[in-house]
Amino acid sequence: MTDKKEPLFHTLEEKIACVESILFVSKDPIEPERIMDFLGCRNIKEFEEIIGEMEKNYRSGDRGICLKRAGGGLQLTTKPDNNALLKKFFTVKVSSKLSIPSLETLAIVAYRQPVTIAEISHLRSVNSVGPVKNLLQKKIIKISGRKKVPGYPCLYSTTREFLLYFGLNDLTELPSLEELTEMFEDKEQPSLFK
Amino acid sequence: METDIYRIQTDYFEGPLDLLLHLIRKNKMDIMEVKIADITSEYLEYLKEKKGINPSREGDFLMTASTLIYIKSRSLLPKPDSMDETPEEKLMQTLIEYDKIQKISHLLRNLEGAELMLWRREEVLEDMIEKEFNIEDVSSFQLAEVFFSMVRKKEQEEFLLIESKEYSIERKRNEILGAINAEGYLNFSEYIEGLDSLQEILVSFFTLLEMIKQGMVIGIQKKLFDTINVWRNDAHRIHQ
Repeated sequence: MTDKKEPLFHTLEEKIACVESILFVSKDPIEPERIMDFLGCRNIKEFEEIIGEMEKNYRSGDRGICLKRAGGGLQLTTKPDNNALLKKFFTVKVSSKLSIPSLETLAIVAYRQPVTIAEISHLRSVNSVGPVKNLLQKKIIKISGRKKVPGYPCLYSTTREFLLYFGLNDLTELPSLEELTEMFEDKEQPSLFK
Repeated sequence: METDIYRIQTDYFEGPLDLLLHLIRKNKMDIMEVKIADITSEYLEYLKEKKGINPSREGDFLMTASTLIYIKSRSLLPKPDSMDETPEEKLMQTLIEYDKIQKISHLLRNLEGAELMLWRREEVLEDMIEKEFNIEDVSSFQLAEVFFSMVRKKEQEEFLLIESKEYSIERKRNEILGAINAEGYLNFSEYIEGLDSLQEILVSFFTLLEMIKQGMVIGIQKKLFDTINVWRNDAHRIHQ
């Protein structure tokens, strides 16, 4: 894509400015590989240097944005501290959160995917068709196939939207069940949940 | 009385397991050593008063109630030698799993909260902004305009009535015989192309099969999916 003979960029500043412009315009997170390729970065270290400089810059008090890594990509967001101010300026209502049934359903899908509605309903001891539908509409989960059992029920998995919604880079960032148990200072065995 | 950390957002128990865990915590019992029989009466008490029960989940609460009563009744009877998995063990496992689901939900809620503090491009959607209706903004002319454009749109709507025709095998037979008489033979594929509906094509094909069976006509197809050429069976006519 880039012309190898004549490099597009000469200095670190030029590269930083370019990355900032790309991220400023983009609505969705951009894969680091794509930017690296465009900038002609030889290795990850060089790219990390650019990103590190940007992050350092955004950390200063007179900046209102920050660099966020989510869903395997890079994105510019506002600083968390400015949330209240933005809400006031744009007169935004209370930001809508997921309901408890939806969160429980999502917890099961995230840790047990791919999973069927029957399995979700069984684990919650509550019919879970409603929350599954809600999460599908929000594109936080998707139908990822069908289980090869009688009736061929749909299997559900999390999506990239899921990662973005919870600010995760990938699924491995979710704590393991062992870590989770420690987090909540419990003594029980975490082995049952695979 | 202990305050319940999971009850902050709602007065309702989302499901039977939610309520059971609440009772276990309330009684400061260890989830691994809970005597299900002991909390059954408390669970039933909640159900009786429908206190904190999500009405849309009532059926699910009753399901678990029956399991609890079954477990309790079993505990009163002499135990049979061995069972693969007692209903009590089964329920305990479900409860332990559910306890983890609640913890993960809690974690996801925290992540969600942190993420909602960050704003991204196109975050300020129209429906997020509190808007008051501004009556002055719309003049009577604009209102009339909207109204008439709606009426016009309605008038332009056409209704398609789908009619279904009746086809009879007798009528089709005469039609096919007539076509054969006119040309000497009938190319069935060409004949089908001139028909209106799938239904008519199907009736024609059944009629053709019936005519061949009765020996009225002879159908020859050179190869698979090729057209069928149909002739009158003269032997049949002589026979008649």
